[in-house]
Amino acid sequence: MKRNWRNHLATIISIVLGLLIIYFGTDGLHAFTAESARTYRLMQEQPAFPEVTLEDSKERVYTLSEFEGKYVFLTFIYTACTDVCPVLELNLKEVYDQLPEKYIGEEIVFLSISFDPDRDDPETLETYRIAFGSDGETWRMARIPDKEELQALLEEFGVIVIPDGNGGFAHNSAFYFVDREGYLIEVMDYQQTEKAAEKVLQVLESELEG
Amino acid sequence: MKSLLLGICMIIVLALPPMRELLESVMIVHMLVQLPLLIIFGWIIGKYLLQRFPGFFANWNGNGIPGIIIVIFVTTYWMIPRAVDEALTYPAVELFKFISLPIVGILLADSWKKILLIGRSFVFLNYLSMFGLMAWLYIDAPIQICNNYLVAEQKALGWGFVIITAAMVLFTLQYVFIDHSENLPSE
Repeated sequence: MKRNWRNHLATIISIVLGLLIIYFGTDGLHAFTAESARTYRLMQEQPAFPEVTLEDSKERVYTLSEFEGKYVFLTFIYTACTDVCPVLELNLKEVYDQLPEKYIGEEIVFLSISFDPDRDDPETLETYRIAFGSDGETWRMARIPDKEELQALLEEFGVIVIPDGNGGFAHNSAFYFVDREGYLIEVMDYQQTEKAAEKVLQVLESELEG
Repeated sequence: MKSLLLGICMIIVLALPPMRELLESVMIVHMLVQLPLLIIFGWIIGKYLLQRFPGFFANWNGNGIPGIIIVIFVTTYWMIPRAVDEALTYPAVELFKFISLPIVGILLADSWKKILLIGRSFVFLNYLSMFGLMAWLYIDAPIQICNNYLVAEQKALGWGFVIITAAMVLFTLQYVFIDHSENLPSE
């Protein structure tokens, strides 16, 4: 019986160790998938939008400083996508429509960024833009022609894109909310448009009042 | 001594970059071949360690419970979709995989003998239900659970878990309904 204390101690240690593994492995039971972990991490880190050159559907070329002083609500797409992107865009439009008109273009700009610059030239983006009823000004569609810059941005925002073998891509989807200084402040579920619009409005109004 | 060398060599082979690339590029192979292999080679190393250091295992894992608790927690961790996903993204998690799973094998080699029939049944049925749950999760999930693998791959993995679960159910049934009195394990 005397020797047993080691066994008891080991039992306690193994329980504690096991719980720690599960706890840290899930960010304190917050994130069980890499996607939720990514979102959680992004909100903690709030990375800056990297220096990238955008080319939009009207063939204008600029960097994010084009929108300096404005919030940017953006998402990542590619136009040949048939499953999630159209939903993503329709939902983006829903957020757009739910915001008061006085803020659109003044305080906040919407942006759809294509990660398929080879196929999504300005002409293709223009067709896509018309199809989704964006005005090309307050809601722009753009590609990042420079692949290295594109990769840097995707990495910074934790967007993982894998070719699916049929000419398409599988990718994780979300809305990204960037503040006036170009820092990512919020990653939102693209399926909950009302919640997203509410959040944006709350940020805008609390700032404009205070 | 032989089993120690064999186990370590095999783990090193598994850790070679081309081998990792090969096994990890397909989700079902990653989950149902690479991870179990790491445990099996750990088990082989465990055979040696048990002979070499019997006192240590008798003192610290006398009734097998501490070992089996670690085994359950670590394998549970590796069944969280995120863990497998992050092994591909973060080298530290990949390293943890190659350390933690052989340890699971070593502890299993020691604990499995010690935890008696009741403990074994508990562990076995625990995994039976866990694998069943995994099968349902991976087949039924409408979204991509892992960022590094496609939905089709996750469905294939789900069916892999179905097969394992079915095999375990069959094993249980034959165990319960077929007379084993002639070869009862001596305990």
